[in-house]
Amino acid sequence: MASTILSSRSLARKAARNIQFDFLAPSTISASRQPSRFQSSSPPHDGATLPPKSTPSKTPIHTLTTQQKAFLSSALRVNQTGELAAILIYAAQSPILTRSHPHLRTLMKHMYEQEAGHFAYFNGVLSRHRIRPTAMYPVWYAAASFLGWGTAMMGREAAMACTEAVETEIGTHYNEQVGVLLDWARKCGERGEGLGPELDGLVGELRRIRDEELEHLDHAVENDAKSAKPYELLTEVIRGGCRGAIWVSERV
Amino acid sequence: MQTTRSRAARQLLQKSRRGVGARESYRCFSCTAPTQQATPPPKSPQDGPGGTTHFGFETVAEALKEQRVKNVFSSVASSYDSMNDFMSLGIHRLWKDHFVRSLNPGRHPLSTPPSTSTSSPNHQPGWNILDIAGGTGDIAFRMLDHASTTNHDAHTRVTVADINPSMLLEGRKRSLTTPYAHSPRLDFIEANAEDLHMIPSASIDLYTVAFGIRNFTHKDVALREAFRVLKPGGVFACLEFSKVNNPLFDAVYQRWSFGAIPLIGQMVAGDRDSYQYLVESIARFPSQAEFRGMIEDAGFLVPGKGWEDLTGGIAAVHRGVKPL
Amino acid sequence: MPPTRLANSLLGSFRAASRRPAVVYRQTCAYHSYDYAAPPPFPPAESAILSSAYAHVPAHGFTIDALKLGARDAGYLDASTNLLPRGVFDLVNYHLVTQRLALADNVQFPDEAEQGKKMGVGAKVRALTLARLRANEPVVHRWQEALAIMAQPSYIPASLSELASLADEIWFLSGDQSVDSSWYTKRASLSTIYSATEVFMTQDKSPDFIETEQFLDNRLQDLRKVGGFMGALSEWVGYTGHSTVNVLRSKGVPV
Repeated sequence: MASTILSSRSLARKAARNIQFDFLAPSTISASRQPSRFQSSSPPHDGATLPPKSTPSKTPIHTLTTQQKAFLSSALRVNQTGELAAILIYAAQSPILTRSHPHLRTLMKHMYEQEAGHFAYFNGVLSRHRIRPTAMYPVWYAAASFLGWGTAMMGREAAMACTEAVETEIGTHYNEQVGVLLDWARKCGERGEGLGPELDGLVGELRRIRDEELEHLDHAVENDAKSAKPYELLTEVIRGGCRGAIWVSERV
Repeated sequence: MQTTRSRAARQLLQKSRRGVGARESYRCFSCTAPTQQATPPPKSPQDGPGGTTHFGFETVAEALKEQRVKNVFSSVASSYDSMNDFMSLGIHRLWKDHFVRSLNPGRHPLSTPPSTSTSSPNHQPGWNILDIAGGTGDIAFRMLDHASTTNHDAHTRVTVADINPSMLLEGRKRSLTTPYAHSPRLDFIEANAEDLHMIPSASIDLYTVAFGIRNFTHKDVALREAFRVLKPGGVFACLEFSKVNNPLFDAVYQRWSFGAIPLIGQMVAGDRDSYQYLVESIARFPSQAEFRGMIEDAGFLVPGKGWEDLTGGIAAVHRGVKPL
Repeated sequence: MPPTRLANSLLGSFRAASRRPAVVYRQTCAYHSYDYAAPPPFPPAESAILSSAYAHVPAHGFTIDALKLGARDAGYLDASTNLLPRGVFDLVNYHLVTQRLALADNVQFPDEAEQGKKMGVGAKVRALTLARLRANEPVVHRWQEALAIMAQPSYIPASLSELASLADEIWFLSGDQSVDSSWYTKRASLSTIYSATEVFMTQDKSPDFIETEQFLDNRLQDLRKVGGFMGALSEWVGYTGHSTVNVLRSKGVPV
């Protein structure tokens, strides 16, 4: 039962991803990027190459509206908060998990390092673009540490179920952002404007980070996330918590 | 005399309504319907033969709206204040005070450096104010009082224009109790806001219209005419019933205006139809944002967000400044 | 000059001609783009009246008279001051906004590579705060009037948000990059210090406002002490917590 739900979800997600890649923003994606959609992880410098050659530098750059600025601010704030929570969860889980399951050490280290990279990226974006961090920072700090510690204490499966739930929400959130940005790019393209190198780069980075998060999700499923004991309850509670945290962080 | 005149006009209005109601199944005035209307339609380019506009919730020929609005105000001229009291829950006096105070008319003689006032012909002493649809002089007297007492300005002039002679008569009567009765600072003219040919272009500092613009047949034409007569830098200011912001308050207010006001109008002034029209014309008037758009379309710059809500949006003050 | 700022001004000069939105938004802490120049803080007509009126502030104060004289100087009428819905507060706000935006150009830090010695964030914050206070000098004899206007109930939210924008601007220009809880504490404490020093300055009769400078230094010193204490405290809490967990783990307690 649980696995059918999951597979249908991931199918839908993959379908959404492909649709966006293929149709939503033909102008911002150069042909050379097209094959990379089947790779789950792209090289980190991928985003830097994104500004498409088809848009000459003389293309006027779209001036963001107030709503667009507000969207970017709250979305990027949520991203930073999410990555903060992710590194805290992994940091709290790692010592407990690797003590009983030493073979997970490299995987946990790999995932933690990727999350730390994302966190550093979003910290840079926030300070550069003068977006305030969430006012609930200490609350999320404590909550994420507790969540990581608590699920790790429940065992490997529960910890992996936690990863699965969190990464599903985060991945969906990134996917929505990419969708919105590509939609803007399409509308700007119709008016003969470009989003500018900043946002084109951001789309690339968001894509790369989303793919890495979904990769973590796959790792969690490979490591028996679905055999966690109250699987439905656990994942639903964690996902509900994630959605609540996103809702709050978008606002404060 | 006043009463007989207004009663005659009222009967005219009722008669014309009844006549059409009998002829047609829906309440609509076609161009040819009322033969009683002796006044020719105004010579406005928008007045095509088939043009219609709104009279309250009715659709009437454009040529007729002006006449019918005239009839309404003829019939309520003497009870004008009590009508405004009902419509605004009694606070229209405060709104008008606020309206005038915020416009701050008049030039303080001490703050006027003598060099600038003599060098530039644009800077005559005092303001030249045009108060449209201000027949009873409500705004005009307040403007002159504010200029005289607050700004010690004895030169600011107000021209009161109204399409309706009964309202002007009422205003003249009331002006006798003020110090401005026979001074050159106050003037009454009968004029249509859509055609102010007697006012030269770029001659007015401040154009005000309080609780009048919703009765205009062509608001856009009136706005363009306001733009014409204003000096560059001159101000268009409008106080008008508007849209209530809070949905709960709005529900209560709608119930009050449609349920109670026509009834009260019948009891106090013996004139249900005129009050019904006034309520409907308020509901018809564009929202704050739409009206701001109309002001901008006429060429004005609007300050800030473009309007100021009074008492939760029952009324709103709109301003526009003619660019240099 | 930080490289991003340089890039911004370069880009700005290329794109100055691009269409700018009529509605001006200066929302605090919304996404700040480097791809195009920021829109001007005031629409042209308001800007013309306010800048002319600002020249009359030393003589007439932050008053409606200054606004009317400014409107006349700019070729407008007395009545045109209706273009400023908040009246004299718009004049005060003009001073606040223009002086805040002028900070970026007025305060240039020497290139770190050239100078060899690195200028700390604290020193930059001090320099920027002092520069902003010095910008009040031409109108300081009128500033108490302005403070009274800003303290009117309907203008308090706008005044506080402008104060927050100033604190944000100073921390941003000083190169501070923290985006955690300290983002808030830094801005809050700098806002407090700045407003206290600003009030002090209106009563300072010392030559060249030396006492104001000392007052500011003392407040910043206090902040450093408190900040240092809070930092040490949180460090201690974190260290004790970690070592407790490690001790428990070494004893075989499954935590």
